[in-house]
Amino acid sequence: MKPLTPMDPMARSTLERLKNNYIIQAWLVLMLALFFGASLAGVHLRLGPKIEENKANETRHRIPEIILGYPGAEEFAREGKSLAIKAHTISVEKQGREVFYGVYEARDLDGKLAGWVAKSAGQGYADKIELLIGFSPSAETITGIFILDQKETPGLGNKIITVDWRQQFANIRTIEPIEVTKTGAKDPRQIDAITGATISSRSVTQIVNVTVKDLRDPLAALAKKEKDN
Amino acid sequence: MHYLTDIILIALGAALINNFVLYYFVGICPFIGVSRRIDMALGMGFAVTFVISIAALLSWTITTFILAPGAPVSKWVAGFFVSPEAAAQVDLTILSYVVYIFAIASSVQFVEMYVRKFYPSLYRSFGVFLPLITTNCAILFACLIIFSRIVGVDNPADAWDIGRALTLAAFGGVGFTIAITIMAGIREELELCDIPKPLRGAGITLIVASVLAMAFMGFTGVDSGLRKVLAPAAVESAQSAEK
Amino acid sequence: MPVAPTAAERFIQGILPENPVYRQLLGLCPTLAVTNGLKAAMTMAGAVAFVLFCANIVTSVIRHLLKPHLRIVIFTLIIATFVTITDRFLAAYMYDMSKTLGPYIPLIIVNCIIICRCEVCASRQSIVTAGADALGQAGGFGLALASIAAVREILGTGLLFGVQILPATWPNWVVMILPPGAFMTLGLLLGAVNWIELRRSERADKKRG
Repeated sequence: MKPLTPMDPMARSTLERLKNNYIIQAWLVLMLALFFGASLAGVHLRLGPKIEENKANETRHRIPEIILGYPGAEEFAREGKSLAIKAHTISVEKQGREVFYGVYEARDLDGKLAGWVAKSAGQGYADKIELLIGFSPSAETITGIFILDQKETPGLGNKIITVDWRQQFANIRTIEPIEVTKTGAKDPRQIDAITGATISSRSVTQIVNVTVKDLRDPLAALAKKEKDN
Repeated sequence: MHYLTDIILIALGAALINNFVLYYFVGICPFIGVSRRIDMALGMGFAVTFVISIAALLSWTITTFILAPGAPVSKWVAGFFVSPEAAAQVDLTILSYVVYIFAIASSVQFVEMYVRKFYPSLYRSFGVFLPLITTNCAILFACLIIFSRIVGVDNPADAWDIGRALTLAAFGGVGFTIAITIMAGIREELELCDIPKPLRGAGITLIVASVLAMAFMGFTGVDSGLRKVLAPAAVESAQSAEK
Repeated sequence: MPVAPTAAERFIQGILPENPVYRQLLGLCPTLAVTNGLKAAMTMAGAVAFVLFCANIVTSVIRHLLKPHLRIVIFTLIIATFVTITDRFLAAYMYDMSKTLGPYIPLIIVNCIIICRCEVCASRQSIVTAGADALGQAGGFGLALASIAAVREILGTGLLFGVQILPATWPNWVVMILPPGAFMTLGLLLGAVNWIELRRSERADKKRG
């Protein structure tokens, strides 16, 4: 006769042991998650403000040299003066869509309007180009540009960030669009393209022209409103 | 029309111009490891494309609705504990990397379970690559790009919607597939060549990859040219200013 | 191995014999991406060293509590947390570097080196050994990054760490800074290391027999 094999009495408690095991392990994961979550929150509270400050300063530090030009900004810094900067958002309606521009208003310590700096972006040769454009107080001339972000070809299109090339944009009147020539700028409203980087040069000029066309009137109106106040 | 232009340009950019492998250097490990034979390469490419799309879907949803500053779900939950003004400032972006990597790991798990159960033949062809994909940089990279286009924009109206995010992810995977398949084709031919011993395996693969990357550099500028063709109205008004 | 390697052995192994980039072919994504310049490469090496060290230490501390099926989850959680901390730290104190390195800092989470070391070493060894292993591997990684970045930066721009090394008449090989140059440099340097290794093992074989 076949011996009776009794049912294994350990089955139930093995199941329970397994279940307990999962709970214990999940417990470890949960504890770690809570601990790390708390430390991340701490890091965020501690470093968050500093990072925001870095992001804002990235633009703000450039404003004196865009409005006053390099020598002017150096003299400004040497004399210990600084500009009071206020941020605005100007919305312009284009082809049924609203486009927002971030604009910084710069006043010197006497409260006089020193100029405006607008942040703009557009398609370059390779990727987006972000730049800052400086306007005179009445928005009648461009005081300079600064390239914030670009991914153009190193050694060629990259040269748009050099001071020599950007200098061409200083003191151009905003009433007419800027032209790019390859053969040497003769007109006040012409600038030289970079040799071998015509498209990058044209892209930057196009971004400047579009922004100038959009913001010229709103900025002039804002300046007039400030003056009347 | 503007939306369609955007989608086409994002797709072209992700697949060819800014190819994930040959321009952004993500997904290099499988690119070198799995590119010996064309069928394996295709299988890996399909698996990556599939997982990257699902991961992008998950990460876009989580970022837009939970993680971004002022996101709806976190605002609603926080509204129970703090005042509405404070609730609107809840910013969970610090948790984004942890959340993304877990989203990717779980989507890979679910995809593997699903494919093994319902499509066994498909599982035989590319299911074996799925666990490797969790550490594939390309997936996390796609999630990071989507994150930067939602949270990193100055103007909330410019934040990417689900369509753009999915296009970027799917065509990023397509670009990865293109690169790895080309490499597999070349390597199959290279098997018959007499390669110096130190360069066999990874060395020659990297040198071939450098030539491939040079070839793909020829695509630079295609998107800005296409933009001029596809969206002539917006560009014309700017160009008339240029004349 | 019959006897577990000591901490010092682990440290030395990580630098050249088991170099994560040249011998194990791990972590190639940041190796190609951030080696445009020596400064960026060193920052990345430092970041990876920090994350690797902390992750190894924490894993080693909790190694007795780890159970097989949840350990990858726990490794990932630890690594992701430390990478987030590193990323925020860089954004706060080295903002320009953080922008240059961009998305490659978060990609340290999926860097095979760190998960590999946690799995292979830290989850089985004591804290000291795990720490030494981390430092060794990080040192090897930094060495690999430095070699590639030096070649690319010098040939591509004539500078090293921003200092002019080659005469100004050097026509910058711009391709070295671009993706093709990255692949080419890594491939050729890998070939060089393999060649040295082959010669060394041939000489060892000849000595033995």
